[in-house]
Amino acid sequence: MNIQNLTIASLGKSLQEKEFSAEEVTRAFLNNIKENDKSIGAYLAVFEKGAMEEAKLVDEAIKRNEALSPIAGAPIALKDNLVLEGTKTTAGSKILENYVASYDATIIRKLKTHKAVFLGKTNMDEFAMGSSTENSAFHTTKNPYDTSRVPGGSSGGSAAAVAGNCALAALGSDTGGSIRQPAALCGVVGLKPTYGAVSRFGLIDMASSLDQIGPITKTVEDAAILFDAIRGKDSYDATSVDREYDEDFLNLNFEKAKKLTVGVPKEYFAGGLSDEVKKGVESAMEKFKRIGIAFKEISLPHTKYALSCYYIIMPAEVSTNLARFDGVRYGRAKENIKTLKDVYIETRGIGFGTETKRRILLGTFVLSSGYYDAYYTKAQKVRRLIIDDFKKSFENGVDIIFTPVTPETAFKIGEKTIDPLSMYLSDVFTIPANLAGLPAISIPIKRYPLDRKELPVAFQLIGKHFHEPDILSLGMLYERE
Amino acid sequence: MISQEEVERLADLVRIKLDKSETDKLTRDLGGILTYFAELKEVDTENVAPVIGGTENKNVFREDEPAGSEFSSEKSTRQFPESKNGFLKVPPVFE
Repeated sequence: MNIQNLTIASLGKSLQEKEFSAEEVTRAFLNNIKENDKSIGAYLAVFEKGAMEEAKLVDEAIKRNEALSPIAGAPIALKDNLVLEGTKTTAGSKILENYVASYDATIIRKLKTHKAVFLGKTNMDEFAMGSSTENSAFHTTKNPYDTSRVPGGSSGGSAAAVAGNCALAALGSDTGGSIRQPAALCGVVGLKPTYGAVSRFGLIDMASSLDQIGPITKTVEDAAILFDAIRGKDSYDATSVDREYDEDFLNLNFEKAKKLTVGVPKEYFAGGLSDEVKKGVESAMEKFKRIGIAFKEISLPHTKYALSCYYIIMPAEVSTNLARFDGVRYGRAKENIKTLKDVYIETRGIGFGTETKRRILLGTFVLSSGYYDAYYTKAQKVRRLIIDDFKKSFENGVDIIFTPVTPETAFKIGEKTIDPLSMYLSDVFTIPANLAGLPAISIPIKRYPLDRKELPVAFQLIGKHFHEPDILSLGMLYERE
Repeated sequence: MISQEEVERLADLVRIKLDKSETDKLTRDLGGILTYFAELKEVDTENVAPVIGGTENKNVFREDEPAGSEFSSEKSTRQFPESKNGFLKVPPVFE
C-alpha cells in the first residue's frame, strides 16, 4: 500500500476488494505520523488507540458485508477547534489547555455514522486567528515542502497533515481563508462551503457571521465526498440551511461543468502578485481554455475594501464570542484569586496570546460608543457593496469566479510576525467569499512531489450560494485533464 | 490614532491584564491598523443597508415544545474550575 497515492475515493474500493484492511491503512498513517510529524508538527494530539479501534470496527463491518459509506475507514485529522467528546480541544489556546470536550460537534457525529477514523487533533493559530499557525500557544507547524516555511493558517496543522501524508484528509474552519490559504501553501485542496451549508455546532466560534467548517483533501473528488458527508441543516445551528442539492456529489456532471462561464475579476490581478503565483494561475487558465471553458473579464470594484471591512467585522464578533473565556466555566489561570474581577483579568491576561488580545481590543474599540458608526456600521455597509458586486457578476452570465488564493507562495517562519498588517494581507483574496457567504475552493495548479522542493501554487474558484457542485465539478475536470 | 490611555481603558473593559510592553506594542499596532481603515471613508455608502449577520434568512421558527436534553448538567459542569453541588463557584465580587 502506498499511502502517498491513496485517496478517499480509492480507499473504499481497495477495502471492498480486500487489497488491505482498514486497520492496515490506519496503522500506516500512524507510523508515518511517528516518523515524520516530528519535523512538521501538524498534530497537537494523536489518538493511536481510538483510531485503531475505529478501524477495527470498519473491518468487522466489511466482514459482515455491510453497505459502507465511501468515508468508512478513512483516517481523518480534525482541527483542534472542533469538539470531540472526551478529548482535549484547545483551539490552539493556553486558556483551553486542559479543556476536555463534553459533547461531539454535529460534523463529528455525522462522520462517526460514516465510520470515519479520527487520527487526532491538528495545530492551529489560537482561536483560528492567523495565517501561518505561528499564533498557536503550543508550537509552530512547518510546511512539509520546506520546513523553514509556514504551512499557512489558521488550519495549518490540517493542511500540513494531509500534504505530509500524516492524514488521508482533514477538516478545518475558514473565517477569512483559514482552509483555502493553508491548502494553497501546502499543495492540497481546501473547500469553504456556502455559509449555512454545514452546521457550526461544536466549532469553537471565532466570528459567527463568517465561520464555516470544510474539508482539506488531496483531490477535489475527495473534497466532494467529505463535503457531502458533513453538510445539512442542524437544529443546533439556527444559521444552517435546509437545502437539498439536485446533484449527486459522488457522481458530478462534467458535461454541465464544461458549459459554465468563468469570470476573471481584474481587481485580483491588479498587482501585488508574486511571479510564481502569476505564472501559476495563468497556466491554470490556459489549461481550462484548452478544455473549452469560456472566460470573461469582470470587475468587482469594492474588492480593495474587503480587507478593512473584514478586519472590523471579524474582531467585533471575536470580542463578543471570546467573552465566554472568563476563568469561571473553563480553565482558570491561578488558584486563590481574591475577587471575581481578578479571576477574569488574570485568566484572560495569561491565557490569551498577543494576536487574540489585539483582536479583542480592536473589536471592542470599533463597537464602542463614538466609534461604532464610523467603523462598525460603515464596515457592514461596505460588506453589502461587496456582496452586491458578486451578485451583479452572477446576474450578468458568470457562473464561477476564478482568482488566485494567495499573493505569494509559502513565506518564511517569522517573516510576518512583527507586523500584523503584513500577515493580514495574506488573506486579501480569500476574505471576500467569507464576507459574501459564497462557496470557494482552493485547488493546486499541479501535483507537487514533496522531495522536489518546489513551493505549491493554487487557484481559487468561487461559486454562487449553494452551488458547490459547480466549483467541485469544474475543479475535478481540471484535476482529471 | 489611539492613545495608550485608550488602550488601557479598553483592556479594563474586556478584562484583560496587559503588561507595559504589551500595552506599548498593542497601542502601536492598533494605531497602524486604524490608519489603514481610513480608506473606507472614500466609499460612498449613502443609502446602503448594513449587512447584519452571515445569512439573509429571517425568523427561524420551531414549535415551542420541550425537547429532552442530551447534555446533562453533570457533563457540562465537569469542566468548571470550581463547583459545588453542580453549581459554579466563584470568588466574591467584592473584597
